[in-house]
Amino acid sequence: MTHLPYILVSYALGIAIPLGFGLAALHRMRAVGRKLAAIDRRTRS
Amino acid sequence: MTGKRRRIYLVLACAIGLGSASALTLMALSDNLVFFLSPSQLAEKAPQGGRAFRLGGLVESGSLYKQTIDGHPQAKFRVSDGAASIEVEYDGILPDLFREGQGAVALGSLRPDGKFRASEVLAKHDESYMPREVADALKKSGHWNPSAGPPPPAATWNTLPTKPGG
Amino acid sequence: MDVQPSLAPPPPPPPPLGGHGLHRFANPGRFLRLSGAVLPWLAGAGILLTALGLGWGLFGVPADYQQGDAVRILYVHVPAAQMALGGYLVLAFVSLASIIWRHPLADLAAAEIGPVGAAFTALCLGTGSIWGKPMWGTWWIWDARLTSVLILFFLYLGHVVLVRAFDDPTRGQRAGAILALIGVVNLPVIKFSVDWWNTLHQPAAITLSGAPAMHLSMLWPLLTASAGYACLFGAIVVARTRAAVLERRLQGLLLVRTEAAR
Repeated sequence: MTHLPYILVSYALGIAIPLGFGLAALHRMRAVGRKLAAIDRRTRS
Repeated sequence: MTGKRRRIYLVLACAIGLGSASALTLMALSDNLVFFLSPSQLAEKAPQGGRAFRLGGLVESGSLYKQTIDGHPQAKFRVSDGAASIEVEYDGILPDLFREGQGAVALGSLRPDGKFRASEVLAKHDESYMPREVADALKKSGHWNPSAGPPPPAATWNTLPTKPGG
Repeated sequence: MDVQPSLAPPPPPPPPLGGHGLHRFANPGRFLRLSGAVLPWLAGAGILLTALGLGWGLFGVPADYQQGDAVRILYVHVPAAQMALGGYLVLAFVSLASIIWRHPLADLAAAEIGPVGAAFTALCLGTGSIWGKPMWGTWWIWDARLTSVLILFFLYLGHVVLVRAFDDPTRGQRAGAILALIGVVNLPVIKFSVDWWNTLHQPAAITLSGAPAMHLSMLWPLLTASAGYACLFGAIVVARTRAAVLERRLQGLLLVRTEAAR
């Protein structure tokens, strides 16, 4: 394959950026979900 | 709902104002936003006094002449836009895509002898993408001579099989 | 004229505040339900189509007759560019909803679209630069297409900073919405820059008017990758907006508790 380094860097960026944002969003949803669940438990008990 | 209606009219008025203002600006700028000059534009009105500018066009078929002196690559070629052409001299390595029949943009200035002295040469590729097999088939059938210019209309080749008979 | 008692049923009671028009979607409970149902499918489709499109582009597509294998960068660059522009269009629409309808969810969504759009624009600029070096012979050139996309990147960055710059979030959201709407002017400039001016960047290969100047064996993977990126972009924005809605609810609950504890 010609221009392999250029191609690999491009694909790495193209996968890493959406993946990073996706994982960060997932983490954020889970974190806030956990905190809300904790408050729910405390108000019930 | 008068608040909402007022905001809609406000946004519309702003959009019309902003839109026409930017359209006028772009029209006024369009002459100055020229990234490169073509050989015919150059023949009409050349920048004076060795001022640096960009020259763009197709590399004329059969005009490219390359040599290496003491390890320093040198190139001479003609850039044409069909109506006019001009000779370009350049010391340095040409980009991968630089080919006869393809577009090129050179940064440099006119010399007193009317030749263009380039300090930087960039290759401009056209917007057609095709596999090698298809390009070869077009060349073999005589539909396209790559060194003479861009490929024929896309509808004639973009569904050709990539393998002979396939 | 006699006023006759009408036999028609009485007119329906006025809808509850925010119960009609776009405000149907302003109800955070409705948004959470809807987005919760859509998100897994959107994310799944995004991952699947992106993997298929990029894998196809990397291993399945034939090399270009003049660019060789470097043409494979197209399968990252073009979808990223489409999302940079498309994301801005969504940001502008959401900003319009914020300014005209004072839509509370729109403000939350706008703040979440900005960083994602900026990242995809950076991806477009980065891969373009990586592609430009071996093909054109330069990492960067100030032609109309590249410059206008750089301006798009700065518009995104400006929006990201502006919506977070004020102590009173409403002021930041309003200012951000105005900036986003003004920036819409840049979108047609980007799209048509390659036709209006001489640029080093080539014109679009795929147009509405003519046959795509791209062989079908190269076009299908591109369409797949584009669809994948669109789904991914949507999934990321929806997930971030969900998180923002929940975070706001959490803040509200915490506030109530501290007030009650006093």
